[in-house]
Amino acid sequence: MRKTLAVLVASVGLLLSAAPMWAHHAFASEFDEKKPLKLHGVVTKWELVNPHSWIHLDVKNPDGTVTAWTIEGGSPNALFRLGFTKNSLPEGTELIIEGYQAKDGANRGVGAKLTYMDGKSLFLKPAGEDK
Amino acid sequence: MNHRVLASTLAAAVLLAAPLFAQAPAASTKTAPAAAVKTPAAAATAIPRTADGHPDFSGVFSNASAVPVARPANCGTKEVYTPEDLAAGMGGARGCGAAAAGGGRGGAGRGGAGRGAAGRGAANIDPETGQPALQVHYDVSQFGLDATHATRAASLRTSIITGPEGKLPPLTPEAQKRQADLRAYNAQHQWDGPESRPLGERCIMWPAEGPPMMPEGYNSDLQISQGPGYVAVTQEMIHDTRIIPTDGRPHLPANVQQWFGDPRGHWEGDTLVVETTNFTNRTTLQQAPTTDKMKVTERFTRVDANTVKYQFTVDDPGTWTKPWSGELNMTKIDSPLYEYACHEGNYGMANNLSGQRAVEKKAAEQK
Repeated sequence: MRKTLAVLVASVGLLLSAAPMWAHHAFASEFDEKKPLKLHGVVTKWELVNPHSWIHLDVKNPDGTVTAWTIEGGSPNALFRLGFTKNSLPEGTELIIEGYQAKDGANRGVGAKLTYMDGKSLFLKPAGEDK
Repeated sequence: MNHRVLASTLAAAVLLAAPLFAQAPAASTKTAPAAAVKTPAAAATAIPRTADGHPDFSGVFSNASAVPVARPANCGTKEVYTPEDLAAGMGGARGCGAAAAGGGRGGAGRGGAGRGAAGRGAANIDPETGQPALQVHYDVSQFGLDATHATRAASLRTSIITGPEGKLPPLTPEAQKRQADLRAYNAQHQWDGPESRPLGERCIMWPAEGPPMMPEGYNSDLQISQGPGYVAVTQEMIHDTRIIPTDGRPHLPANVQQWFGDPRGHWEGDTLVVETTNFTNRTTLQQAPTTDKMKVTERFTRVDANTVKYQFTVDDPGTWTKPWSGELNMTKIDSPLYEYACHEGNYGMANNLSGQRAVEKKAAEQK
């Protein structure tokens, strides 16, 4: 019975996302939906901190200069539980980041979509299992 | 359960709590209700017990849940699904309407199936591609924070709130006024400075921390530690440990108020009952600004080696017209609790205020 129930619950899991999902802060007030970003950069640091993790990357500009950007992401705790560590995104990793720039004009953004150069998503894992 | 974990970081708050256990009065068990302690050897259920015979709640648990706080309207007074209901597609936010949508009995009922999903999908279409535009947010699934990534206790409940109504009772007139005043104030002043931001953003407390302790949205994990005369509960979000004396001592004086109130525990059979008073009038619960007269009663029952049944009643006559109660299951996880360290990395506070100042500057220039 218990196992049957677990399977049933898991099978409708995608429809059951009823738990409230709060961001730690209001993203729409920090980032500007009228300033979409698409950056191709090289990771220089990954700050695995709460309440939000930050990916630092160097982005080469068309004129050859390099601009340092920081990209805001989610709390890292669940990544640890899924087996990711700081080594999972080493320095030098090339990424494509799509998102939005900060309203104050800083070279800071929210990464709405993070992909490796081969188009694969970062960190995406299959859904967990209810027990 | 195939969680791989990093090396051994236990929550600092739990380590801080340890010396308090060491100071527990040696005779503390004598002050517990005599009838409350069962003989461990005679216990028929396979639940772990401490040396003094009480159920041992120690462990790390997830209280993530697919069950909504309030019952979907289309479930009426139905409190519990049958396994057949779930197989037919009922459950979660869809409530009891899914079976009708699948063809058969007709009458989808109020609310209907999939209402939330439809609303979300209609938002923010990119005019160039015709595809949904990216949200101004990180993708929660890329950080393992989708609700389905969490380990959740299975439940047949239609809502966390119990009883035939399955929802919060109405607010009292004075609570409605407090809520309206708060919203009016926030509309004018929420960006004034750090002190005017929500408690969660200020890393003071997370809205679902309670008590009652509700699913947190993500990182819905908590650690229960137990020693003679004390039980402590540390919630991963946001960093706090509730230290609950079980030695019969009285509550703090009424003029001593704490964000999480002042908890006192006692045993009723195998159930740990925690009564919490001495709240402030500066917090909200389920979006309602509560009073310092609120009393929350929680009941922890270890129903098997992996599951804690958690029941609660909230009584705040200055806020709700009657008490309300709820129930959820916590399930044990194979993972340590991770330190959240909210203040240390809270760049968002400065970034948000900086963003708002930029908006104001731009607006002033356009005048």
